[in-house]
Amino acid sequence: MMNPRALVLERATRPLYWVILTAAIWILLRGHNEPGGGFIGGLVALAATAAYAIVFGVAAARRLLPCAPLPLAVLGVLLALASGLPAVALGRPYLTHLWFALPLGFAEPKLSTVLLFDAGVFGAVWGALAGYVLVLLRDAESAPVEETS
Amino acid sequence: MTVAAPHSSDRNPGYAWVALPPLTGFVALIWGLLHHPLPWRGGWAWAPSLGVEFALHIDGLSAQFLVLITGIGALVFVYASDYLAHEPARGRLFLILTVFMLAMAGAVGADHLLVLFVFWELTSLTSFLLVGFHHDDEQARASARQALLVTMGGGLALLAAILLLAAMARSYSLRTIIAQGPVLVDDPRLPAALILLFIGCFTKSAQFPFHFWLPNAMTAPTPVSAYLHSATMVNLGVYLLARLDPAFNDLFLWEAALLGFGTLTAVWGAVQALRERDLKRILAWSTVSALGTLTLLIGLSNPGAGLAVAAFLFAHALYKAPLFFVAGNIDHATGTRLIDRLMGLWRAMPWTAAAAVLAGLSMAGLPLSFGFVAKDLITTAKADADVLALVGYATLFVNGVAAAVAGVATIRIFGGPPEWPKGHVREVSWRMTLPPLLIALVGIEFEFLPNIADPLLAEAALAISPALGTVDVAASYQFGTVLTATEITLLVGLVLFLLWDRVHDLLQRVYWLDHLGPAACYERTLNGVIHLAAWQTRALQHGRLAGYLRLSIVGLLALATGAALATGMSDFIGASGALFREWPAQGWAWLVAVVLIVAGAGASVVLRNRMALLMASGLVGYGSAVLFLFTGAPDLAFTQFAVETALVVVAAALLPRYGVPPVVTGEPRVGNALLALACGAGTFALLLQLFALPPDSTLADWFGAASLPQAHGRNVVNVIIVDFRALDTLGEITVVIFSLIAALPLLGALARRSDRP
Repeated sequence: MMNPRALVLERATRPLYWVILTAAIWILLRGHNEPGGGFIGGLVALAATAAYAIVFGVAAARRLLPCAPLPLAVLGVLLALASGLPAVALGRPYLTHLWFALPLGFAEPKLSTVLLFDAGVFGAVWGALAGYVLVLLRDAESAPVEETS
Repeated sequence: MTVAAPHSSDRNPGYAWVALPPLTGFVALIWGLLHHPLPWRGGWAWAPSLGVEFALHIDGLSAQFLVLITGIGALVFVYASDYLAHEPARGRLFLILTVFMLAMAGAVGADHLLVLFVFWELTSLTSFLLVGFHHDDEQARASARQALLVTMGGGLALLAAILLLAAMARSYSLRTIIAQGPVLVDDPRLPAALILLFIGCFTKSAQFPFHFWLPNAMTAPTPVSAYLHSATMVNLGVYLLARLDPAFNDLFLWEAALLGFGTLTAVWGAVQALRERDLKRILAWSTVSALGTLTLLIGLSNPGAGLAVAAFLFAHALYKAPLFFVAGNIDHATGTRLIDRLMGLWRAMPWTAAAAVLAGLSMAGLPLSFGFVAKDLITTAKADADVLALVGYATLFVNGVAAAVAGVATIRIFGGPPEWPKGHVREVSWRMTLPPLLIALVGIEFEFLPNIADPLLAEAALAISPALGTVDVAASYQFGTVLTATEITLLVGLVLFLLWDRVHDLLQRVYWLDHLGPAACYERTLNGVIHLAAWQTRALQHGRLAGYLRLSIVGLLALATGAALATGMSDFIGASGALFREWPAQGWAWLVAVVLIVAGAGASVVLRNRMALLMASGLVGYGSAVLFLFTGAPDLAFTQFAVETALVVVAAALLPRYGVPPVVTGEPRVGNALLALACGAGTFALLLQLFALPPDSTLADWFGAASLPQAHGRNVVNVIIVDFRALDTLGEITVVIFSLIAALPLLGALARRSDRP
C-alpha cells in the first residue's frame, strides 16, 4: 500500500507521533495559565492520530489510541461530568472547582478538579474528532485510489 | 380469529402484585379522608432559583380525582395482569401505567401551575406510549402520533395561558389566581389567556374540534382505554376548568365558550356513537359526549352546577370504566367487538353480563343507580340556570343516546338466544370479572361508602362552586322532583335503542361528514406539513455544497445590508476614520496576516488543481490565525492553527482516495464571482459598523479581574471554558459526541455506497 517515495515520511512519523502527543498533553497541562487547554490539546492530539493514520493506516492508528474513539470521547465527557461531583459532596454547587496542593518535598504542584474537567474536554475532542477522521480514512482505504482513471 | 383464545391465567399469575401500590394509595387516601379534614397542604422547594415550589393542595376536587386514580387504578392493574398475560412486553406497560398514575396524581394535587403543567405533559407523554403500545401496528402508531400531536399542541397553548395568568396574578399558585379572579376580570390580557386555556383543556378533554384523537386512541390495550381514556386522563382538562371556574364563572366569554363547545361536543359525540359498530369505539364516542356534558355543566353559572359536575364526574368514571372492561372481556372471549356479531352472551359469560347490566343501569340513569342521582342533579342545575332551550334539548338527546348505548352494551349483546356454539365462548377469569363488578357495584350502591362519598362529593362541589353552602347529597338519593325529564330521556333512549340499526344506516349515509370534520382537517394539515417538509428539503437540503454556500452568502449579505440601512452611512465614514487614524502597535504583523489571507484568497480564484486549492484555503486560515495571534487572542490563534492543519492534512489525504478528479473543470461562473465580491464588501461594511459601536468591556473587565483570584488561572479564556462557564462546555462536548454518534451511521452508508460502482 505504501508508496516507496514516502519512506522518509514513514520514518519520521513514528517518533513524531509521540512528540506531538507529548506536546498535546503539555498544552493541556499549561492551559490554565498560558495559551492552551483541553480543547486545543485535543486538536493537536488529533493531528498526531491523523498523521499516523495517513501514513500507517487506520488500524495502526486506532491501536495507538487509549481505546476506541467513541468510548474515548464518552469517557472524556464522563470525566468532565464527574469533576463537578466532589463539590456536591462538600455541599457546594455542582461544578464548583476545588484546588489543593500536593506536597512532594521538591515541589508543590497544584492539583484541581479543573484539571480533571480539562482532561475530560481533551478526551472528548480527541476521541470524537478521531472518530470522524478514522472512519473517513478507513472508507477511503477501502475504496480503490485510481478508480476514476 | 373467531374462536376464543384458551385461558391460561391461573398458571400465569404474573404481575398481579403491581396493583399493590395503587391499592395502598387508595386505602391510605380513604383512611386520611376519614381522619383528617380537607384541605391538605404540603410542599417543598423544587427549583428555588426559579421560585418553583412543589406545592400541593388537596381539596375536595383533588381528593375526588385521587380516589378515582388510585381506586380504579388498582383494579385496572389487577385486570391488566390477566388481560395481558400473554403479552411479552407487559412489564413495560405496567411501568408506563405506574408513571402515568403518579403523573395524574401530581397534576390534580399540584397548586403551583408549572408543577401542574409538568405533570399534565407527562400524562400526555405516557398516553402516547400507551396508545402506541403495539408499536408494530401501523394504525396504533398513527393513533399514538395523533394523540400526542393534539394533546401536546394543546399543552403548548396551556403553557402560554399559564404564563399569562401568572403574569396577571403575579403568582403561579392556583389558589392565589382563583382568589384574584375578580381583579383579573378587568385585565385586557384575560381573553387571550382564557382562549389559550380553552385550547389546552379542550385538546386534553377531547372537546370539539379536538375530539377526534380520543376514539382513535382506542387502539390502546383495553385496560389503558378504561383507565386513561375514560376515567382519568381525559378528565384532566375538565378538572382544570372546574378548578378555575370560581374565578371566571361570571365572565361571558367563559360561560359562552364552555356552554357552546360543551354542548356541541356532547351532541357530536352522541351522533358519532350512533355511527359505529365497534363496541369499544361506541363507548369512546359516548365518553366524548360525556366530557362535553361536563364542560357545559361547568359553564353553567348557578351554584348547583358544581354539585352536578362532581356527581357526574364520579358516575361517569364508575360506569364507563366497567363497560370498557366488559368490552375487553368480550373481545378476549369471542375475538370480536363488532356488535352485529355478538348476541346472547349472558349464558356463557354471566359475571361479565352482571357487571355490564350494573354499569348500564347507571349509564342509562335508571333510578337507584348513581347515574340517576347525577342525571337528576344535572337536570336540577339546568332548570335553575338560565340556559338556552337548545342546550336543554341537546342534553335530552345526549342522555337518550347514552341510555341507548347502555342498552346496546347490555341487552343487545348479552340478551337473546345464545348464538355461539356451546363451549366456544367461556367466561374470563375472576381477575377480569371482579374489577368491573366491583366498580359497577360502587356505582350502583353508592351508599356502600356513605361516610366518605357524600362529604367527598360535597367538598368537591364546594371547590367548584364556593357559593354552594352546605349540601346534602343524600337528599338527592330520593326520587327527584324532575322525574319527568328522566322519563323522557329513557323514552328517547328506548326509541334509539330499538331503531339502532336503522338510525345507524341513516347516519352512515352522511359520509361527507368524514371529509369535512376536524379529523379530516387534521389529516390534511399533517399531510401538508409532510409535503412542506419534503419540499423545503428538496429546495434547501439538496446536497450540493456550492448551493449551500451560495445560500449562506446571500443570507450574510442580507444581514450586512440590513445593518447598513439601519444605521446610515455617516457612521461608516466616522468608523473608517477612527480605524485608520493611527498606525497600530503591531501593525506590521497585521499586514503580514493580511498579505497571507489575500494571497490565499487570490490563489484560490486562479488555481485549478484541487490540491493547490486546498493549500490556498489553508493559507487563508493561517493568515487568520496570525491575525488572532497579534490581536490578543493567542488561544484562538492556537486553535485556528490546529484546526487548519488537521483539516488540510486530512482533506489532502481523503480527496484522491475518494476518486475526486484532481483538476477543476468547467467555465468560471460570473454570477458566483459577483456574489463573492458582494459578500466580501458586505462583510467589510458589517465589521465597520461593529467598530462604530461604542465598545462595552464590562464582561471582559470582570473576567480579567476575577480570573486569578477566584479561579486560580491566568489564562482567562481557559478559565472561562473550564470554570466560569463549565456547564456550557459540558454541553458542548456532549454535542460533539452526539454529532459523532449521529454521523457514524451516515458515514457507514457512504462507505457502502462507494463500494458499489
